[in-house]
Amino acid sequence: MKQLFVTYGGMITPLGSTIDAHTRALKNGQSGVTVVENSGFNQENWPLGKITTLHTENRYQELLSNLCDALIQNHGAPLFASSKTLIIVSSTKADIDALPNDTFASTRSIIETKLAPKNKPIIISNACISGVIAINTAADYLSTDEYDQCVVMGIDALSDFVVFGFQSLFALSDVPSQPFDKNRKGICIGEAAGAVIVSKAPIATSAFSVRYLGGSSSNDANHISGPSRTGEGLFRSVTNTFKRSGISPDQIDYISAHGTGTLYNDEMESIAFDRLQLTAVPLNSWKGYFGHTLGAAGIIEVLASMITMENDLLFKSIGFEETGTSCPLNVIKENTAQKVNTVLKTASGFGGGNASLILSKEV
Amino acid sequence: MKIVASVKLSPAGMFVNGNERKIAGVAEESWTKTIYSELGLNYPKFYKMDPLAKMAFLGINILQESAELAEMETEEVALIFANSSSSQATDLKFIESYDERGNPSPSLFVYTLPNILTGELAIFKKWYGENVFFINENFDASFFLDQINFYLRKGANKCLCGWVNAMDDAEECFLFLVSAEDGTITTEELTTLYKQ
Amino acid sequence: MSDFKETLKSQIIEQLNLEDLTPGDIQDDAPLFGEGLGLDSIDALEFIVLLEQNYGIKIADPNEGKEIFQSVNSLAAYIQKNQ
Repeated sequence: MKQLFVTYGGMITPLGSTIDAHTRALKNGQSGVTVVENSGFNQENWPLGKITTLHTENRYQELLSNLCDALIQNHGAPLFASSKTLIIVSSTKADIDALPNDTFASTRSIIETKLAPKNKPIIISNACISGVIAINTAADYLSTDEYDQCVVMGIDALSDFVVFGFQSLFALSDVPSQPFDKNRKGICIGEAAGAVIVSKAPIATSAFSVRYLGGSSSNDANHISGPSRTGEGLFRSVTNTFKRSGISPDQIDYISAHGTGTLYNDEMESIAFDRLQLTAVPLNSWKGYFGHTLGAAGIIEVLASMITMENDLLFKSIGFEETGTSCPLNVIKENTAQKVNTVLKTASGFGGGNASLILSKEV
Repeated sequence: MKIVASVKLSPAGMFVNGNERKIAGVAEESWTKTIYSELGLNYPKFYKMDPLAKMAFLGINILQESAELAEMETEEVALIFANSSSSQATDLKFIESYDERGNPSPSLFVYTLPNILTGELAIFKKWYGENVFFINENFDASFFLDQINFYLRKGANKCLCGWVNAMDDAEECFLFLVSAEDGTITTEELTTLYKQ
Repeated sequence: MSDFKETLKSQIIEQLNLEDLTPGDIQDDAPLFGEGLGLDSIDALEFIVLLEQNYGIKIADPNEGKEIFQSVNSLAAYIQKNQ
């Protein structure tokens, strides 16, 4: 495969709207998860990763619009209007408030208005692994001569729909989520918009970039909403990603895990990482910082992992204190300065999907 | 690459590998239930599925009458799916469950993602291969051909592709199985099969 | 009792969104979970809602549900005992 570069595009979460703001917040160990009153179906006060600076009624449209503005501010409008640029969007519920009208129509129109792309944007909706699949899809398109760069966006907004849904599954935690911890109680839902630029050559407007080495997906073929007991799909996806990247487990410096904070998901991941001989590798879940942002998760967690690489600083996994999985993992307990060269990012989601990719600073 | 088998299902009829197959309609039954009965299937989970998964499940059962799907185990098959309406039909029913029926329904919520249908197919066939679900405005043959090229190059031997939509009573399911064997597929050929 | 079971079957069909089934498709003594109707833990949550909304019965311990939700017969017996 041709060498590909990955660059910061933009990042909007409860912790800030720029990469610098996020770097500061992560160094300070700040969490964007706060108690939101009356957010539950029966007026429960669920802890959520809610962005408090949004002020219009349509959170999704505002997030997408703000992300487009950030992209232009960071990289200039011509990049997005280039005939060699393809935009890929990852979202699970998109503009859910638009129902019964098309929930993806505003995605297309906002991008059209703000970024004036020459090529029709591609939209991926594949549950919580959408973001990682979107980056892998960008690499697919860049294997042809047609495009020089892909702008990969991930966006999902908070909605009653999603909160009530996870509440109906008894999957929400009534305290900020504690991925991989013994006392974990479930998920905190969050909202975010993030973008990375995957390109054949370094992007001139960006000082820092990493290499994309490869990625893949795999289905558990087991259950539509329950994680596999054996971690089968995750095991297969990571195995294939190693193969495609030409990387072996001992070269991985850090794993950005999915880590939703539910009993079964985190247990499944520990089993898969054990089968992959990755239990000694420092690992965290970003869900303690942002909540679970669904279709945005893969993108903002790759962005946070790039901040990790840029600063050679492993960030603690917020909410983790004591091992709570049958295969103990090396969950990061304190921010630790350490060379972070090669990173494995994983994601798992409803529909039995698992996806992974590998990034590296040096090849 | 070449098309091994295809099936198009909709309330208007059923076409297998380009040929119409008659279905005797049964009054007071949904069209998917009629096909399920006619095929003599016994898969109780069918009744729990949303319209997207139901159609895809019927489609794959018809496909395997003419293609040797049983030989395609484990990771050989990539599932490449798309539609224009995501899971909006079920999204509306889920909203109704908490707006009008008093409680958000977990069994509806788990189907409020389009890629649940690829999950159902993977479970049914024990397929561990790559999955991806796109939201496109219309069926686009050249889009699928690009994707098939990517996945065959990445190591899949077969691609099961699908355009499955359920919204505003406009239900349709088009599945086609592509193998890496020598041959070419034209966008015209694919579009013709879809438009049946 | 048989009328009651018919009502219960209709309620199960509605609550679990099994609209392609009719009460006649569900046997009184067939297992609802696993092999029988192919129901799983998500559907068990629907049964808990069904009991609460239609019969005012609260099930606090989900493990208790396993026995109660075994079949239409066991569900009907439990409702009649606890109503």
